[in-house]
Amino acid sequence: MTHLALAALSKHYGSAVAVDHVDLDLARGKFLALLGPSGCGKTTTLRMIAGLVEPSSGKILVDGADITRTPPYRRDMGLVFQSYALFPHMDVARNVGFGLRMRGIDGADATSRVAEALALVRLTGLEARRPKQLSGGQQQRVALARALVIRPTLLLLDEPLSNLDAKLREEMRAEISDIQKTLGITTVFVTHDQSEALAMADLVAVMDSGRVAQLGTPTEIFEKPATPFVAGFVGRVNVLQGEADGSEVAVGPHRLRAASEARGPVSVMVRPHRMRLSERPGATNRISGTIRRLTYVGEVLEIEIDASGHTLRVERSTDEDFSALAPGADITAHFAPEHTLVFPRTP
Amino acid sequence: MKGPGYALSALLMAPSLLVLAVAFLLPVATLARMSLNTTMPGGAIVETITLVNYSEFLADEFYWEITGTTLLLAVIVTISALLVAYPIALFLFRWESPWRGPLAVLTISPLLVSGVVRTYGWIVLLGDQGPVNALVLWLGLSATPLKLSNNFLGAVIGLTEILTPYMALALIAGFGRLDRAAEEAAETLGATPWRTFIHVTLPLSLPGILLGSLLCFVLAVSSFVTPRLLGGGRVFTLATEIYEAAMLTLNWPLAATISMLMLVLFGITLVAYGRLMRAVAQ
Repeated sequence: MTHLALAALSKHYGSAVAVDHVDLDLARGKFLALLGPSGCGKTTTLRMIAGLVEPSSGKILVDGADITRTPPYRRDMGLVFQSYALFPHMDVARNVGFGLRMRGIDGADATSRVAEALALVRLTGLEARRPKQLSGGQQQRVALARALVIRPTLLLLDEPLSNLDAKLREEMRAEISDIQKTLGITTVFVTHDQSEALAMADLVAVMDSGRVAQLGTPTEIFEKPATPFVAGFVGRVNVLQGEADGSEVAVGPHRLRAASEARGPVSVMVRPHRMRLSERPGATNRISGTIRRLTYVGEVLEIEIDASGHTLRVERSTDEDFSALAPGADITAHFAPEHTLVFPRTP
Repeated sequence: MKGPGYALSALLMAPSLLVLAVAFLLPVATLARMSLNTTMPGGAIVETITLVNYSEFLADEFYWEITGTTLLLAVIVTISALLVAYPIALFLFRWESPWRGPLAVLTISPLLVSGVVRTYGWIVLLGDQGPVNALVLWLGLSATPLKLSNNFLGAVIGLTEILTPYMALALIAGFGRLDRAAEEAAETLGATPWRTFIHVTLPLSLPGILLGSLLCFVLAVSSFVTPRLLGGGRVFTLATEIYEAAMLTLNWPLAATISMLMLVLFGITLVAYGRLMRAVAQ
């Protein structure tokens, strides 16, 4: 059942279009990630859902009710800001209890709900601290508790992990996912980090220049990107230019098979980790060239291959033995047709 | 700090310290010395060391009264200037527009005109035949012209206008902690705009409010021209009394004594400001 729906939602700033006719349906309890580079309109979309930015046109519906013109303080949405936006003049307990006080909930009821929210984010015992006495990760948890304590209809997260260091980010990623699943709260999460979006969300909307380029599950977004932009933004790809004849694509001397009926000039994209190196005469989609560079990055060996004017990047797990490889040596890479993405090229 | 860095900073501070010593400490020391002298009935100064001026001041009900008037005037003017300047300053702080700079300059532009000139302007505006009273009579708000000048009210109105630019400047400078995101957070948590202002905006702008209030309070306490001219000789403050003693009754030791006591008042104000700032910063 649709919980949140955006209908042709747009935002213009003068002649600049920040968000351009975004349509989205989000079922109750689902976790949606708005993913895209900076300036793609993802944060503006989130702020319109929260009521902090007034849409230029379009509608926002929650449970079928139009809330497009409802002020933020009557929307019942828990928003976690990128900067956390904690109240510096209040201690942790008062920060978390703010939304309850604004709803006229106080006394023992409020105290127990604040305690409950702080327990949820594992901050019990820090009630009397001021925000500036907390680490970044702790401030993040306070912001999350403050948003959750009001039992919002929707949880909105605006790049909540971008100010944390790498290790803490992974920890919080798992924790936010757990909390979201425990509470079963419908969540919209804004991020520019594709791995965050893929790891946490049920649904990913990849945004490009104010539009939704693709809406799908993490697997769909990664394995079946709808546009070259999505393929390039989510994960890494090798790009080859070729000519398609409806069944095969000619890239230089190589003929590649793909599940595509495109004709004419196309871009062929293959993810580096889908490329194989083993010499199998029968393998389809073979490309041969010479090794230009080998880069060892721990778990993975990156192999750069010069092949008929293209540079191919191959990623192989260092589980296998690649000690025989050396720069300058001839090599053949191959990949499966189902991993070969073909997009018509517009001249 | 130690070593060459310390020596360098001492060297860099030396010129300003020297200027401060000559232009501030020396006159204050001279004043302090003068306040210990007495005068002969004709006005001649008797070089001596006595606290008789201080004891006379503290024993005289009239001086307590003018101290009260001075503080009352300063407090009312500070609050009025705050009420006028706060919305302007908040707007200027928030407004993202190319007009923000020019408008900020416009706000503080009254400072380009001497306080004396502006005070005379107010005398004209607030007089019985002035435009303000003309409007009041025309609107029928009163049958007779309102007494807007030559009294305490006149001094309040004039000083408020003169000090508002200082208040606006201090507020804008002190709005550093005011974070738009914190206000937005309050709104998403269910606070109406008014409650957001009371619970978030106002507390976060307290440093600016305190700084502006300190500045205006001190300037109002020591202001002389406006209370003197717009008060019409009916408003007696410490500053007008210093002028009276120094220039008219030629009692320099008394003038010096009042000056020293005013300095003590400012000292107390500064300590109170420091305490409040620390409380707010917590």
